[in-house]
Amino acid sequence: MDNKYIEKMLSKMDKDLSEHGMSRREAMKIAGISGAGLFMGGATSASAEEEKIVKSNAKGKIVIVGGGLAGMSTAARITLNIDNPDITVIEPQKLSVSYQPGQTLVGGGLWDEGDIAYERDNFVPDGVKVIKEKAILFNPQENKLTTDKGTVVSYDYLIVATGLQLDFERIKGLEEAGRAYSAGDNSKLLKALGDDGICSIYTAEGATKTWEQMQKYIAQAKSGKKTKFLFTHPNTPVKCGGAPKKIMYLTNARLKEEGARENAELVFYPNGGAMFGVPEYHDAILGQFKRENFKWHYRHNLIEIDKENKIAVFDAKWQEKGPWDPVMKDFEVIPKHEKVRVPYDFIHIVPPQLAPREIAESDLGSAKGWVPVNKETLQHIRYENVFSLGDVAQVPMGKTGGSVRKQYKVLVDNLVSLMNGKELTAKYAGYTVCPLITDIGTVMLAEFDWTVKPTPSFPFDPTVERWMWWLMKVYALKPMTIYGMLSGRA
Amino acid sequence: MQIELELVRYDDELDKFELDETIYQLDLSEDDEKTYHLLKDSDLHLYNWLKDSDFFTKYIKEEVYLESENKKIAISDINGISFRRFYFFKVTSGDSHYEYFKKLFNIHEESDWQDREDIGEEILQCLSTKRKELILELG
Repeated sequence: MDNKYIEKMLSKMDKDLSEHGMSRREAMKIAGISGAGLFMGGATSASAEEEKIVKSNAKGKIVIVGGGLAGMSTAARITLNIDNPDITVIEPQKLSVSYQPGQTLVGGGLWDEGDIAYERDNFVPDGVKVIKEKAILFNPQENKLTTDKGTVVSYDYLIVATGLQLDFERIKGLEEAGRAYSAGDNSKLLKALGDDGICSIYTAEGATKTWEQMQKYIAQAKSGKKTKFLFTHPNTPVKCGGAPKKIMYLTNARLKEEGARENAELVFYPNGGAMFGVPEYHDAILGQFKRENFKWHYRHNLIEIDKENKIAVFDAKWQEKGPWDPVMKDFEVIPKHEKVRVPYDFIHIVPPQLAPREIAESDLGSAKGWVPVNKETLQHIRYENVFSLGDVAQVPMGKTGGSVRKQYKVLVDNLVSLMNGKELTAKYAGYTVCPLITDIGTVMLAEFDWTVKPTPSFPFDPTVERWMWWLMKVYALKPMTIYGMLSGRA
Repeated sequence: MQIELELVRYDDELDKFELDETIYQLDLSEDDEKTYHLLKDSDLHLYNWLKDSDFFTKYIKEEVYLESENKKIAISDINGISFRRFYFFKVTSGDSHYEYFKKLFNIHEESDWQDREDIGEEILQCLSTKRKELILELG
């Protein structure tokens, strides 16, 4: 753990706490997490999770495609579990381990891009080789892959952790944006979005741009002009399902700070028919939306942006009762669609998201593109020496760093079992977490799993927004992720 | 005990099911009656038991479809327990059928993004495999 970072983080946190008349220890006592080493300054990479690992002497060449949070944490974990492992990570992106959950805070003007940028080469575990190329062809029948520079890499075991792509080009009017990844050079995307109120926090550079645009339109509202802020959520799985709403809450907070809220209309256009997949959190968010005087329209999917006229076009869907089906002995349900044109001043776009083309079009991908794995063991359903985790894995509700934190340990346990010829017994239960920022200073900590019920780690009502979770989100989760997970321990 | 049966005929070339409008009566032996009562609350177990029972195949071949060569059938209803959704499900089918198949095929709906049409297509994909298990080839 980087002690300088920790000292800086704790110093900022103490300042924040003292403004609330509270010491760090008192704050942690209230939160019931006084033992949390990271908060209390006792954090080391080892203290993030005390565990005794007996190293296996399993042999085999392990290749990890993708060196982001999922891939690099897995590499680190394997080094803790296997003696002298043969691991190669294939990752072309220099900033691959950047802290993506912080992009919301960058978009809200609380952090800057420098706070979330982390370089791959500083987090490569000892003994792990890195090929700084992009894997583009997969031949799982022969246990080989080829990179964009023609390097052929063979493996005994393959772990697919490529992440996902942001499919901006699917939105009419933004075709020239192409597809993007969260980190790296996204100048083409930014050029396509322009400087006239269109933004997205789903890339690091885009998050900075979001803050610029947000300030511009908050200033417009402050000047007395009625200003319309739109926020979208697409018809594909997305990484961090809470982010589309978090940036809306932060915009609201910044408008209130500036005394400009009364001139602003904030409207949410989700593709789905609910605010959240877990009913308890849906109800809580609905209450927050009403309290903050937000508007929303369910079942609206953004399909087009008319930049010149500043109009967003949505595919609006509803259902009507259809005719009686005498064979099924039931009424049919007829889906209906219509295009709805909505003027905007500022629009935050959450792009459709999909598996990278080279995965989707390979034998490793499913019909939908994602890597089809047993959702509990994370082993590929066709190739037993292939595993997948993170955004690219076809696992329900699994596209968050919180999910990866559970997945990578399960994956490594099962990989070691497979290498030793044993049964795969470790199981991922679908846990994920979304610290839903509801204001500057409050967070609702939505934890849940495949039971679609809240699974709180702390003895509090999980639907209540708390300042304590804000502290955790802003001060603790990043070091836990960057120094804990990327060392394979947290 | 007697049970009522309804059947569907499967057309290989068209990959389609057609409802046989007749209601058939099948006599169960005492032992079979006990099995029926054990399985009647578990629809697919009931189905598979009947489909794999020699007495059922014999009954179909000898009393229902006397010209059974190359014929493929499936059961659509057993004493009011309906299996029709397996053969006639479509994207516009009612919500109860969606709920049934989502549970059966372990399709997890993330209600904040998934469309009914998407889930419907996923169910149809799963059904294309499941239907093969349900069809009885009469030889």
